[in-house]
Amino acid sequence: MRKIHIRVAMVYITAAILFLIIRSFVVPPTFGEYDWYRGDSVREIMELPPQHANATVCKDCHSERYDLWSGGAHSTVSCESCHGPSYSHTKDPIIVSANVDNSREFCGLCHAQNPSRPADFPQIDMDTHGNGNLCVVCHNPHSPWVFGGE
Amino acid sequence: MSEILWEVLNHIEGFIYPNEVEVNWSVLIALYPYITGLVAGAFIVASLERVFKVEAVKPTYRLALLTALAFLLAAPLPLVAHLGHPERALEIMFTPHLTSAMAGFGFVYAWYLLIVLLLELGYDYRKDVVKWAQTATGFRGFLYRILTMGDYDISEETLKKDEKLVGIITVIGLPSAAFLHGYVGFIFGSVKANPWWSSPLMPIIFLFSAMVSGIALVLLIYMASTKLRGKEMDMECVDTLAGYLLYTYILDLGLEFMEIAHLLYTQEEGIDAILILINDKLFVSFIIIQIFFGTLIPITLLVLSKTGLFRAKVRKFFYISASLLTLIGVFAMRWNVVIGGQILSKTFRGYGYYIMPLFGPESLTLALAIMVLPFILLAIFVKLLPPWDEPPLWMKTERRYD
Amino acid sequence: MITRRKFLKALGLLSATAAGVSAKTSRAEPTEYYDWSKHYYSFVVDSTKCIGCGRCVRACKLENEVPLEPFFFRTWVERYIWLKGEEEPYVDSPNGGFEGFPVIYDEKAIRKSYFVPKLCNQCDRPPCVQVCPVGATYKTEDGVVLVDEKYCIGCRYCIQACPYGARYLYPFNGPRKSRRGTADKCTWCYHRITKGLKPACVEACPVGARKFGDLKDPNDEIHKLLDENRISVLKPEQGTKPKVFYIGIDTEVR
Ligand code: HEC
Ligand code: HEC
Ligand code: HEC
Ligand code: HEC
Repeated sequence: MRKIHIRVAMVYITAAILFLIIRSFVVPPTFGEYDWYRGDSVREIMELPPQHANATVCKDCHSERYDLWSGGAHSTVSCESCHGPSYSHTKDPIIVSANVDNSREFCGLCHAQNPSRPADFPQIDMDTHGNGNLCVVCHNPHSPWVFGGE
Repeated sequence: MSEILWEVLNHIEGFIYPNEVEVNWSVLIALYPYITGLVAGAFIVASLERVFKVEAVKPTYRLALLTALAFLLAAPLPLVAHLGHPERALEIMFTPHLTSAMAGFGFVYAWYLLIVLLLELGYDYRKDVVKWAQTATGFRGFLYRILTMGDYDISEETLKKDEKLVGIITVIGLPSAAFLHGYVGFIFGSVKANPWWSSPLMPIIFLFSAMVSGIALVLLIYMASTKLRGKEMDMECVDTLAGYLLYTYILDLGLEFMEIAHLLYTQEEGIDAILILINDKLFVSFIIIQIFFGTLIPITLLVLSKTGLFRAKVRKFFYISASLLTLIGVFAMRWNVVIGGQILSKTFRGYGYYIMPLFGPESLTLALAIMVLPFILLAIFVKLLPPWDEPPLWMKTERRYD
Repeated sequence: MITRRKFLKALGLLSATAAGVSAKTSRAEPTEYYDWSKHYYSFVVDSTKCIGCGRCVRACKLENEVPLEPFFFRTWVERYIWLKGEEEPYVDSPNGGFEGFPVIYDEKAIRKSYFVPKLCNQCDRPPCVQVCPVGATYKTEDGVVLVDEKYCIGCRYCIQACPYGARYLYPFNGPRKSRRGTADKCTWCYHRITKGLKPACVEACPVGARKFGDLKDPNDEIHKLLDENRISVLKPEQGTKPKVFYIGIDTEVR
């Protein structure tokens, strides 16, 4: 073997070994725990905090409204669909309050007449229905066939 | 960034998925296949002399190799610059996910740079480097002495062996160069979600357009360098290179035609969207720049030069124009693939819009800076390792001692 | 100090890499309270029920820290309208349906119209996972495709490879710092479903157009939906085997 070949080979082999050594330090320890990815990543994603609770949790403190709601026409509409994500509210109700939107537009999101909606879904003409009053003046939002508002 | 997206929103036509508003692969990604293409093309020019024994192009051999090296060093820059997390770039080598076409990039690149180009250059330049190491002083001398790696043996016999070795490396290098770039084509060709990309022909089309652009680049650099050095141009060499440019061009055009013909004839889902893409959205960059100015005119000029009706001076002018147009046309081709493919929505119902920012990340200025860099590198390489055929420095000094 | 074992492991990994096999070790469950081999999830979208209120889009964005700008969606709602006398449908999705859908055509001009909620299809054969160069996106044992925000390099190949436009690059001004510059997509609220909750969009849907269930649980209502309805998937020709099934959509929906 000529000197030059040996030296070139040495340089390359050193580089390759260096690469492997660095690699063994840099690759996260749980990489390949299950497959070609970082195992810890699954756990990290599982541990993300939820923002939405669900209706059964609300029952603990708002049982009155819950009972009204669960027997009414809005029982398929989850509390948080109207009041926004409330997981932190359930943990700390005084500091974090849930959203309340009683505007006509808000009810209209679901109930405004729209030809793309399924025909059997109750829709109203937003311009005329209720004479422009707030919907909650007449309908109880938690059980809309209960009239007289809150 | 957000402002651009709001502006884009005004230009969208039809319906595209809301997440498609942002064109994710920007001008930098169009630049990347362009640069690797130039590398592969330049290397193939160099191997013309070594493997196919085309003696006429010998004056460009080393120049082509240095060009390939300069552009290869710049090739990862657009990629890394466009990453969302450039600091994680090396993960692609530490944990390459083997089902991904992109994962090979690090290894293909390393192989091509370290095993093919550097070794070929090293052994080819060995004799000169040893001579330079013995005569030059200062920093340059230091550099040459490192490059010799302590082996100063340049007897007839070893040089012959070196010659043979370089031949072998070139033979390995040729498929490597083809792979380096065909592989880039595969990255696009394998995206089944995008009918404008998804095609088994993509790697070959990329390869041939790469050869076209590489030959044009070497031709241009050779002509410019002889001019700059005030030397006589080797007309035979230039004519031969131009000949090869023409032949690859014809193959390239044929492939491109097959691709379009296949698209138009099979009329698969999305064909209507593609027709509008070609005839409207990409009309300027595809029909006018890529096909007309970037392909048909250069081919015409090259054919005209072949007729033998024109004097050397005219032919030179033809070659310069043809090469420049080629370089523009091939970039337009990359642009049409990369940007065009993203303008076409995967809904086949609408078209996005690409706005290239002038400054900042993924901008025109950055792209231009990356494009200028290889020329600066090349100038440095040429200074350090003069590729010219005439007696190099050490010969002159040797003669002085005679 | 690098141990001998670690070094050998690195060498082994390299040779494994060269041989084209990925290193697979035992598949234990990720945490004590959740065994992912006992679940395999699926999603059903009943487009005949959707009213286009956009509460799901909102719930998703708030649940998952998705930027509120109209370019980034983990889920969105599309509206299809076939006008009288026209072959191709008109499709739109203003702000992904976040604020609902204003009426744009008169009822009399419309032949047929409905809403189609879209989300990641969590394909059984996910092209996005296939193309990820570093292993930053993957399919879990329970069939959900996730993105590792600490490992993603932001090359966006997965975004290009997704036929459904379900992925986007989390912007550099997004609220969640560690996710900036990486690919992001619907996870079926993996942090919720592994705790036994429903995904936020399913929770928010007032009409039950979105149903989520566990195929490995024989009592799940999802079986009934899948058995009693004619279902289809989006872009079946892509061979991705989606796990989001649609009820009541035309072939024009893609
Ligand atoms: C731990 C008990 C508790 C739970 C659980 C709880 N809340 Fe409350 N909630 C309260 C209290 C206490 C108030 C009154 C706080 C105030 O007046 O600021 C309140 C007030 C509200 C309000 C009115 C806020 C306002 O600004 O007037 C809404 C809406 C509400 N809750 C919704 C919900 C929903 C939806 C849930 C279920 C996800 C829920 N709550 C669960 C205790 C609870
Ligand atoms: C259809 C939408 C809707 C749903 C579903 C709904 N709410 Fe409400 N809720 C409202 C509206 C609107 C108001 C405001 C009523 C008003 O202003 O008179 C309100 C008021 C409240 C209030 C009192 C806040 C106040 O300021 O008086 C509480 C507490 C509350 N809701 C809890 C709940 C709980 C718990 C549920 C689920 C069991 C629920 N809501 C479901 C729309 C809804
Ligand atoms: C998130 C969507 C949503 C919102 C917001 C909403 N509703 Fe409803 N509403 C529903 C659904 C779903 C039903 C049940 C429809 C059914 O039974 O087919 C319903 C039913 C009703 C009904 C009974 C209609 C019937 O024919 O049985 C009334 C009245 C009503 N809502 C009023 C309101 C009012 C007033 C508001 C505003 C406070 C409101 N809704 C907000 C979704 C919504
Ligand atoms: C002045 C009182 C009043 C107000 C204000 C009012 N409604 Fe009503 N709403 C009624 C009465 C009474 C009915 C039952 C008779 C009918 O169908 O018109 C009704 C019926 C409905 C129905 C059922 C329609 C059907 O076809 O089944 C819906 C949905 C509804 N209202 C939604 C709303 C919404 C949303 C608002 C706010 C934009 C609202 N209402 C405001 C009195 C009111």
